[in-house]
Amino acid sequence: MSVTILETIPLNKPMDNTTHFGFKDVATDDKQGLVKGVFDSVAGKYDLMNDVLSFGAHRLWKRYTIASSNVKAGDKVLDIAGGTGDLAIEFSKKVGESGQVILSDINAAMLGEGRKNLINQGIFGVDYVQLNAQYLPFESNTFDCVSIAFGLRNVTDKDQALREMHRILKPGGCLLILEFSKTDSELLKKFYDFYSFNVMPKLGGLIADDEDSYQYLAESIRKHPDQETLKDMVLEAGFGFCEYHNLSGGIVALHKGIKT
Amino acid sequence: MQHFVLEQALNLLIQNGSIDIKPLESKVIRFTLVDLLPDVNFICTNNRIFVNSDTSTSSDVEIKLRPNVFFALFKGEDLTDLLRQDKIHIHGDVKTAQLLVDLLSTTELDLEELLSQYTGDIVAHEMGKTAKKIKQVVKQSPNPLEALKDGLSELLIQPKVSKKYTNSHH
Ligand SMILES: C[S@@+](CC[C@H](N)C(=O)[O-])C[C@H]1O[C@@H](n2cnc3c(N)ncnc32)[C@H](O)[C@@H]1O
Repeated sequence: MSVTILETIPLNKPMDNTTHFGFKDVATDDKQGLVKGVFDSVAGKYDLMNDVLSFGAHRLWKRYTIASSNVKAGDKVLDIAGGTGDLAIEFSKKVGESGQVILSDINAAMLGEGRKNLINQGIFGVDYVQLNAQYLPFESNTFDCVSIAFGLRNVTDKDQALREMHRILKPGGCLLILEFSKTDSELLKKFYDFYSFNVMPKLGGLIADDEDSYQYLAESIRKHPDQETLKDMVLEAGFGFCEYHNLSGGIVALHKGIKT
Repeated sequence: MQHFVLEQALNLLIQNGSIDIKPLESKVIRFTLVDLLPDVNFICTNNRIFVNSDTSTSSDVEIKLRPNVFFALFKGEDLTDLLRQDKIHIHGDVKTAQLLVDLLSTTELDLEELLSQYTGDIVAHEMGKTAKKIKQVVKQSPNPLEALKDGLSELLIQPKVSKKYTNSHH
């Protein structure tokens, strides 16, 4: 049986107070629009920039995520903030014809790039849904696996998004959060700080003609909760188990939550 | 990383039909490899096993074994014999324990198949130098599969203190 998409839920609902957009404080209601601006702007060059900025390492981090998912034939998988579709491509190979993969993103331009990539690879079975991670238009207990790679730090209300992910997973379902995190190594930290604040935006300017967006991306990484804090948030959202694995010395971490 | 390898191995056994964990649905099994690995939980759910290192939660059954017994398992020693000789200790909810014994004693560990599924570059990336050395040893060995088996069993248990690859290769 295929997944039912419930009637449209607004991509943005009014909220109170302020939140951060990179290092800036902005009205909570404005953040989503600002994030949209960033990804509208980087969509066309996103894949190239990912390869350049991570020296190709993002492919390994994603492969580790897929291998850790324990997804198998027949499973239903939702990739949130899936952008250009790297995870969806691999998930669709794993679930086969009997399974279902949904590639979703709040941003139509990124989703469009994703669709293009999948079609170029001859993958036609994947569904595409434009959605906000905070309001998932699916019935409860639907998915075997929900993933979000390098997306959670852009979401305004992360706790609400995590509760939604918990709701739509089946009991026994698995949540995968791949995201930049905090490294313990002082040396790596120094190099990484220099790289992200001095080199990354400049490269963004040179290659994608968009220094500001890459400055935001670097800042948003620093604002994202560290490994332990995110683990607590996942448990708080209702997951029975959560643990994380550091990759590349903690520059990136994969959190895995299990709904009990 | 050891957990990743262990989890991959167990789920491969489920997928290729070597073990059926449906009877253990929703059970949490604490696995202790005495003196070597920190305890882990095997969470059996949705017809798969998740290996989790947060053992602050309660478990339904505990399984405890010494490293030499674990190695013996990997080298193909008969599980039923090991259970009969009391070399593997199982405690906890009697019904779950019985299910676990049934499951273990019907399991055939096909290590060759397991290893053939490894994504070498992920392991290499995360395990760095040791994995690279394993690759070299494997390349030079007259029996690559055996060398790989030895290397991985050792890494699974003691990645940091493994002496095998620190100096010259065998
Ligand atoms: C850095 S990209 C990651 C894309 C892809 N997952 C990857 O790993 O390559 C972040 C994505 O998050 C999306 N995004 C930001 N806020 C979101 C939200 N509230 N709900 C869903 N997607 C969101 C952006 O549009 C963008 O495509």
